[in-house]
Amino acid sequence: MPFISQIQRHSDYRLFPSSTPIVIDNGASYFRIGWAGETEPRVIFRNIVQRPRHKATGETVTIVGDHDPTLLKYFDCTRSGPRSAFDSNVVFQFEIMEYILDFGFDRLGANGSQIDHSILITECVCNPFQSRSKMAELLFETYGVPSIAYGVDAAFSYKYNQQHGVCDKDGLAICPGFTTTHVIPFIDGEPMYQGSCRTNIGGYHITDYMKQLLSLKYPHHMARFSWEKVEDLKMEHCYIAPDYVSEARLFQKGTKEAEDKTRLWQLPWVPPPTEEPPSEEEIARKAAIKEKQGQRLREMAEAKRSSRINELENESHGLEFLLQQLEQVEEHDIPSFLSATGYVSKQEVESALLKVRQSLLKAKGEPKAEQAELEEKTDPAGGERFPLLNIPDNMLTPEQVKEKKRQLFLKTTSEGRQRAKQKRYEEELERERRNQQDEQKRLENPELYLEQLHAKYKDLSEKVEQRKRLKTNGGHTNGNSFSGSVGRGERLNAAQRERMRLLTTAAFDRGKGEDTFGARDEDWQLYKLMSKDNDDDDEAPDEHEAELARLTSRLQEVDPTFVPKTDTTNPQSVEAPRFRPLTQEDFQIFFGVERFRCPEILFNPNWIGIDQAGLDEMAGVSIRRLPTKGQELEERLTSSVFLTGGSSLFPGMSERLEAGIRMIRPCGSPIRIVKALDPILDAWRGASAYAAASHFPTQTFTKEDYYEKGEDCVRRYQFRYYTL
Amino acid sequence: MEPEVVHAELVLPTHLSFKRIQMYEKYPKGQSRGRHWKHLKQIIQAENYQNYPPNEPNYVNIESPPSMHPCKRICDITGYEAPYYDPRTGLRYANADIFKLIRSLPNEYVQRYLALRNAAVVLK
Repeated sequence: MPFISQIQRHSDYRLFPSSTPIVIDNGASYFRIGWAGETEPRVIFRNIVQRPRHKATGETVTIVGDHDPTLLKYFDCTRSGPRSAFDSNVVFQFEIMEYILDFGFDRLGANGSQIDHSILITECVCNPFQSRSKMAELLFETYGVPSIAYGVDAAFSYKYNQQHGVCDKDGLAICPGFTTTHVIPFIDGEPMYQGSCRTNIGGYHITDYMKQLLSLKYPHHMARFSWEKVEDLKMEHCYIAPDYVSEARLFQKGTKEAEDKTRLWQLPWVPPPTEEPPSEEEIARKAAIKEKQGQRLREMAEAKRSSRINELENESHGLEFLLQQLEQVEEHDIPSFLSATGYVSKQEVESALLKVRQSLLKAKGEPKAEQAELEEKTDPAGGERFPLLNIPDNMLTPEQVKEKKRQLFLKTTSEGRQRAKQKRYEEELERERRNQQDEQKRLENPELYLEQLHAKYKDLSEKVEQRKRLKTNGGHTNGNSFSGSVGRGERLNAAQRERMRLLTTAAFDRGKGEDTFGARDEDWQLYKLMSKDNDDDDEAPDEHEAELARLTSRLQEVDPTFVPKTDTTNPQSVEAPRFRPLTQEDFQIFFGVERFRCPEILFNPNWIGIDQAGLDEMAGVSIRRLPTKGQELEERLTSSVFLTGGSSLFPGMSERLEAGIRMIRPCGSPIRIVKALDPILDAWRGASAYAAASHFPTQTFTKEDYYEKGEDCVRRYQFRYYTL
Repeated sequence: MEPEVVHAELVLPTHLSFKRIQMYEKYPKGQSRGRHWKHLKQIIQAENYQNYPPNEPNYVNIESPPSMHPCKRICDITGYEAPYYDPRTGLRYANADIFKLIRSLPNEYVQRYLALRNAAVVLK
């Protein structure tokens, strides 16, 4: 339930005579201003000032209090956040205070030349003199206020509730506020400041603690935890556990009760658009388009092929015709005859013809194997194909020698091809044989076979995996690599890292002792290790991988339930989270322990590093500090423990406080905890009642006093809380 | 200014009739001015509380003393009761699972958790 400000301007300012005082409850969180004698303050707003830059005009403007956040889009608030005039309930920045007072008086409807009403304004207990006098200076000199009275908010709240019979004239006021928590003992209806104590902790710290905890728990949603939002969450969900430890234990054990106490905040989340399976029509349409395109490509290819065949046929006919003509030409006329065609010898023409015929065959689509076989068939008669090979060099013309070399080359390559083919054939046979064996074993004992296969698969895959890991991680993992954090070193593989190590030691290992490098032959191995192409990829692991692939395919054949492990380097921790689509659960904020952990700091301030007594202990401290002692008085005090202030609104506060005070009091002491009628507004209402009382003018100090007696009268000033 | 901003009277006017000294007179524009306010610490120091009679209440001596109760130690991460303490990070933790978690936390997060109870390493 967020608190709503009231900032609409009032128009009845002129209706109040100047004898009616203005009452201001100047709290660290909210500023409340109104007229004496009324029961509700007129204007309430958060006691903050922002000075953003107007985006359109670029001028710096002042915005007081909290407004509709949508209007702030016209302003650039990035340079300065909301600022408060308070530090631990003491006003210390009077420029900000002035903006706040400006706004407060303006919304109250003030429109004269000065504020012609006396003012009752609240301050903290034992406000430093400097702050009080600055406030007087501001009110007298800037606003022209005739007279001022200062009072303590907790005391006004106590007196107001005393008037309504909630608490007695002797009692303890416990006031957990926004930035500080006070305990003030009351004796005979007068606050005893000697006995009061203050701990610098309050609602501000609770919200801040919660904000920090949540943003640490959900770092991805940090932007969601704005101050205002967390403040709302605190007001809505936080409570005070009767016993922190046992309550936390409930959550630790994950009991049903704890589950019921856990609150869930679902952040707005839009599921990513799911890809709908395309409709039948769509599929058909796409297939048709594909088919059409395919058809076109095929046609094009066909056209190309036929044109090429034509071309080749023409060429071969031409060559054949040339050969025929050559036969008619006499031997010594050949070169002159051929010079016109670009060929040198008859052989060359023949070989060109052969080439053209081969390409023609290829273009016509005769399978290559056939062609190869054709080649092979002619091969045994190798002597015919390579006639020059068996003739010694000295019996040949230079041209023939060249030809011989060409033939030699052709022969060796064709032989190599044949050998490779033979090897392939043998391997094929071997594989066939193994498969047959496997099959036989499977037929003999399927279960055993499957088991063996699985075992083998597991073994092998582990081996391969280990090798991979070794390659990337260097064998010795340093604890952190599982958490997915990748440092600079971890990106390199082991070999690279070793190389870096060698290089760095070489670089920094100069001039230490005698240089004996090179004395032994092994020393020089170092350079080999350092060199960049030091890659130790041997063949064995490849064999493993090939075997693994074979086993995988075999298993897939035989065992329908088998699912091959996908790449196993580190699939869960690194790859999975990155590509996992975000789900609704990723946008859920859980409040479990936080609900009572955050307000618990009121009782244990040292949890946030404030080394002071908590709320329950403060009561004991306060009683101890009182100058007048006596069991009877103490019992009267503890039987009217009064709770006020914004942070006393947490459910479970009274019960917890009672238990805490019972612990520090003697056995059997009467303890009664009462809550203020309205812990937030009672201070203003009490102040309003006092300002309306007939003896209020005697309680104020005037501008004349201030100028005449100087600041001393401010120092000595003390409000008297007469019983109304 | 946009009409809705003007309508909401969001911006504090620079001139207010009820003031005898306007803001722009007090703090003229374009004139550099140093910090014209004191921090609370400076205020307290200037107040010279040590010269005051000790039996009179003042802002400093009404502060609560340190707690006399034994400090409840809670797990920095979860808020559960924390019997253990990790000497490496300085965090308190409730059980082995959380120990694993805190050992995997980057230092920045450890420091933020420590800062919550004002125990972080502060470099000056």
